[in-house]
Amino acid sequence: MARESYQEKLEALRDDVLYMSELVLERLRLGVDALEQKDEELAWEVIDGDDEINQLYLDLESECVDLLALQQPVASDLRFIAASFKIITDLERIGDLATNLGEYSIEAQRDVYPEVDIQAVADETIDMVQAAMEAYEREDAEACYTIADRDDAVDDQCERASETVVRDLIEHEVDADTDDTEVEQLMADVSRMLLTIRDLERVGDHAVNIAARTLYMVENDDDLIY
Amino acid sequence: MTSNENRATDEPAASDGGFAAGETKAGDPDQTEAPLIETNVTADVDDDDGGASFGTTIIESRGLDVFYGDDQALQDVNLEIPENQVTAIIGPSGCGKSTFLRCINRMNDLVDVARVEGELRLNGKNVYDDDVDPVALRRKIGMVFQHPNPFPKSIYDNVAYGLEIQDKDVDTDAVVEESLKRAALWDEVKDRLDESALDLSGGQQQRLCIARAIAVDPEVILMDEPASALDPIATSQIEDLIEELAEEYTVVIVTHNMQQAARISDMTAVFLTGGELVEYDATDQIFENPASQRVEDYITGKFG
Repeated sequence: MARESYQEKLEALRDDVLYMSELVLERLRLGVDALEQKDEELAWEVIDGDDEINQLYLDLESECVDLLALQQPVASDLRFIAASFKIITDLERIGDLATNLGEYSIEAQRDVYPEVDIQAVADETIDMVQAAMEAYEREDAEACYTIADRDDAVDDQCERASETVVRDLIEHEVDADTDDTEVEQLMADVSRMLLTIRDLERVGDHAVNIAARTLYMVENDDDLIY
Repeated sequence: MTSNENRATDEPAASDGGFAAGETKAGDPDQTEAPLIETNVTADVDDDDGGASFGTTIIESRGLDVFYGDDQALQDVNLEIPENQVTAIIGPSGCGKSTFLRCINRMNDLVDVARVEGELRLNGKNVYDDDVDPVALRRKIGMVFQHPNPFPKSIYDNVAYGLEIQDKDVDTDAVVEESLKRAALWDEVKDRLDESALDLSGGQQQRLCIARAIAVDPEVILMDEPASALDPIATSQIEDLIEELAEEYTVVIVTHNMQQAARISDMTAVFLTGGELVEYDATDQIFENPASQRVEDYITGKFG
C-alpha cells in the first residue's frame, strides 16, 4: 500500500469523527435525562460541555482542510473527506440542540404536558443518529435509506405532539380572574414545549443529513441530499 | 492491419487521401463492440452527472495494438477523442500513454522496432493507410514535448520555420505575431524577436514551441508532459494556455501529474500496466467516482 501516512491520516479522521459522534450522543442523552428528570446539575454538565464539542468540531474541520490542501484526495477518498466535513457540522449542531434541552430543563420546573411522550421521540432520534454513524463507519448504503424512512414517522410524531400542545393552549380557560403570572407561566411552558419538540425533530433531520452524506460517500449517490 | 473486416459498413468516403473526409459520427454502431474498458462515452451524451456533451469525435482508435519487437505496448485500444476539447492521458510509467500519443501523428514510424496494428483515424481516415503521407499528417497534428526543443535560431525564425518549409504564401510577420500571441508569449518577446530562442527561460521556450506548433494551423496538438520540466509559475501559464488553445484546437496531453490532468482536461483516459486502456470518461467522473476499482486504486495512490 502506497502513501502510508496519507492512509493513516484518513483513518485518523474517521476515528475522530466517530469519537465526536460518541461525545455528541452522550451529551444528547444527558440533555434528555436532564429534561425528563428536572436535573439541573446534569443540565449544566451538558451546557458547559458544549465548548468541548465546538473545539473538537474546529479541530476536525481543519483536519479535513489540511487533507484537501496537502494530499489532493480524489475519488472515494475525496468523497470520504467531503462527507466527513459536512457530517461534523451536523454533529456540532446536534451538540447545540443538546445544550438547548439542558437550558429548557433549567427553566421548566414542573411537568406540563405528561401526555406528550418526549422520551419516546428523543429515544427514536438518538437511535437514528447512532444508526447513521454506524452506517458511516461500516460504509453501509442500505442503512442510509432506512434512516431516511424513519424520519417520516418522527416528523408525524412531532407534528401530533405540537398539535396536542397547541390544542391544550386553545382550550385552556383564561379569564379575567386568571392572574398575570399564571398566564406568563402558561406561555413559557407552551413555547418551551414546542421548542423541545422542534429541537428533537431537528436531531432526526441531522441524522438524515448524516445518512445522506454517507450514501454520497459510499455510492457517489446524492439521492438523499434534500 | 487486423481490423479491415470491420470497415465495410462504416468507412467514410475517404478515398482522396486527405483528412477532411467528413466528420466521424460519434454514434458509430461499432462502438458497442468495445466493452473492454469502462466508459460512458456514447453518442447522445449530455449525461445527468452534469458533464457537458462529449462532442464530435476527431480522433478515433480502433483495436489499436502496438509492439516494440516482441513486447506489446498497447493492447486493443479503442478510444474516441472529441474535437476542441482537452483530453488527458494518465497512467503509471510504462503503461503505453506516450506510445498512444505517438501513434496519433505516426511518430512511432521513426522507431524501427515499433509495429502498429489496428486503426487510428483522424476525421474518419485511418492515418496508417498506405496513401497517407506522414509529413502531411504531422502538419495537421502538432506536437509539444517534455523538454522545450526550440531550434538554435531566432525567436522569429523558430515560429516562421514551419511556414517556410511548407512554402505557404502567407504574411509570415502576421502569422508569427498571431502565433506568439496565442501562445501567450508575444508581450514578452515582441521587442527581441531576432534574439536566440535559446536565451529564453524554460517556460518561455515551451510557449515558443507551442507557438511554433500552432503557426502551421494544425487541427490537433499533442503534448507529452509539456510542463514537467517547468516551475509552478511557468506550469500555470502552460495550463492556462492549454485551456485557451482548446477553443480552437483539439488538445491531447500525456501527463504524470494527475492534479494537472484533473485541472485542465475535459476527458481523461487512464492506461494501466500492460498498455491497457482501463477507463475513459469525463474528467470529473474519473476523479470523483471512477467506475473501475483499478483506476480508483491508481488515482488514490493505493496502486501496487
